[in-house]
Amino acid sequence: MSLSERMLKIDRRIIFLVIGLCTLLPLLYPVGLPIRISPEVRSIYDYVEALPERSVFLLSIDFDPASKPELHPQAIALLRHAFRKNLRVVAMTLWVSGTGMADQLLTQVAHEMGKENGKDYVFLGWSPGGPAVIINMGQDLYTAFPSDYGGKATKGLSVLEGVQSLKDVAYAISLGAGNPGVEAWYVYGKDKYKFELGGGCTGVMAPGLYPLLRSGQLNGLIGGLRGAAEYESLIEQKGRAVAGMDAQSATHFAIIVLVAICNLFYFSLRQQQGRRHT
Amino acid sequence: MIFLRRQLPLLITMITGLLFAAQYYVPHPSSERLLTSATKWLQIIGGFALVLGVTSLFHQHAVKIRRQEAGWGYSVVLYAGMVATIAAGALAWGKESLDGTMTGFGWVYTFMMVPLQGTMFAILAFFIASAAYRSFRARSREAAVLLVAAVIVMMGRVPLGEYLIPVSGDLSQWILNVLNASVRRAILIGVSLGAIALSFKIIFGVERSYLGGSKE
Repeated sequence: MSLSERMLKIDRRIIFLVIGLCTLLPLLYPVGLPIRISPEVRSIYDYVEALPERSVFLLSIDFDPASKPELHPQAIALLRHAFRKNLRVVAMTLWVSGTGMADQLLTQVAHEMGKENGKDYVFLGWSPGGPAVIINMGQDLYTAFPSDYGGKATKGLSVLEGVQSLKDVAYAISLGAGNPGVEAWYVYGKDKYKFELGGGCTGVMAPGLYPLLRSGQLNGLIGGLRGAAEYESLIEQKGRAVAGMDAQSATHFAIIVLVAICNLFYFSLRQQQGRRHT
Repeated sequence: MIFLRRQLPLLITMITGLLFAAQYYVPHPSSERLLTSATKWLQIIGGFALVLGVTSLFHQHAVKIRRQEAGWGYSVVLYAGMVATIAAGALAWGKESLDGTMTGFGWVYTFMMVPLQGTMFAILAFFIASAAYRSFRARSREAAVLLVAAVIVMMGRVPLGEYLIPVSGDLSQWILNVLNASVRRAILIGVSLGAIALSFKIIFGVERSYLGGSKE
């Protein structure tokens, strides 16, 4: 077996080790390279920044713990920004397995920013039906969620004063890891009830949402950990996403180098085989 | 019996399909009330679907355990996990915390479900790297184009890439915004047209596989 053949059949545990080290070392010894802000993240930031105080900001936390590393920092950065701007935050989830996590993160950020449940924010929780919940909220928010996650009646909560349906929401953002998520919020929500919509998603999902962004169906998009790091930089409150960017840089480069090596040996093997045939 | 099994569901599908397709274009209050009430029903049916799903899962794994089929041990683990979680949830009234104290249900969620799901997702990075090494080869011109585009996007999406090759950020943005968006949009339009055609077939009873059972 030639060197090229041996290299192409390298033990995958070596690749695992390389990726493991590329993730671990930058987390232990961060470099802190500057992060450039993309226009799609900036437009979400600018829109939130321009909202008047006490506007209704709806955050739909449509992911479960599997996507926590990418979407949790996005949610935290958005909530910090919304609370800092003194917006009324209405949070909910379309994913039943994300309910506990969504409640924890909202409570944690609200506590950190000194906000009061029922007055400054509310967590509506989860309701069955997927996209039907969005339509129902567009028709009447109180029919979709008669009570909040804690069991308190939603009607009469000061945070929801003047809010009857999705038409009264100033800005909504769905942080989605799949379906129902960002697309469902556009198709069943924004298109009919005419509110401004932004999106956040995992890195692998982002390319699929670019058509919605280009057509203005979404006014902005936070894609993956990189998007979260950009948002953290914009609000000048660096957190886990910025810390993770060095690790992501290193792993991306490790994969690029691995792919380059694999192609190098692949062509060398093809050349050897060609020579043997002639 | 045939009427109840075949004609009636087809009739309901046709009437509701046409009614709600038309409803979208009628902003009259009574039309809106109809939508409100229908979506409320949808939510209720969604709740029942969840119960149905869990029951079916229980049944499927009970059969596997009873027959001691290959991998029945995993079914026992699944059964134990589900029963324990449902019990913990019922005891805590479905709440992760009560009066600021974490319940058993909250403990299961925070210390079992969250790390397990996180681990599954994290493992992906290792397998993607291994798969990329084994299969991401420029075997043809098309594969070479894909490879170059992937490398540019991977570089442009991380600070180190932009630091080493400043133009990679703009190039990656162009690939995502122009090439990717146009192709995705074309696919999206095709899929949507297909969905419209399928909806018509279902509404008018041409496509009946959703009714289940044998062919008439």
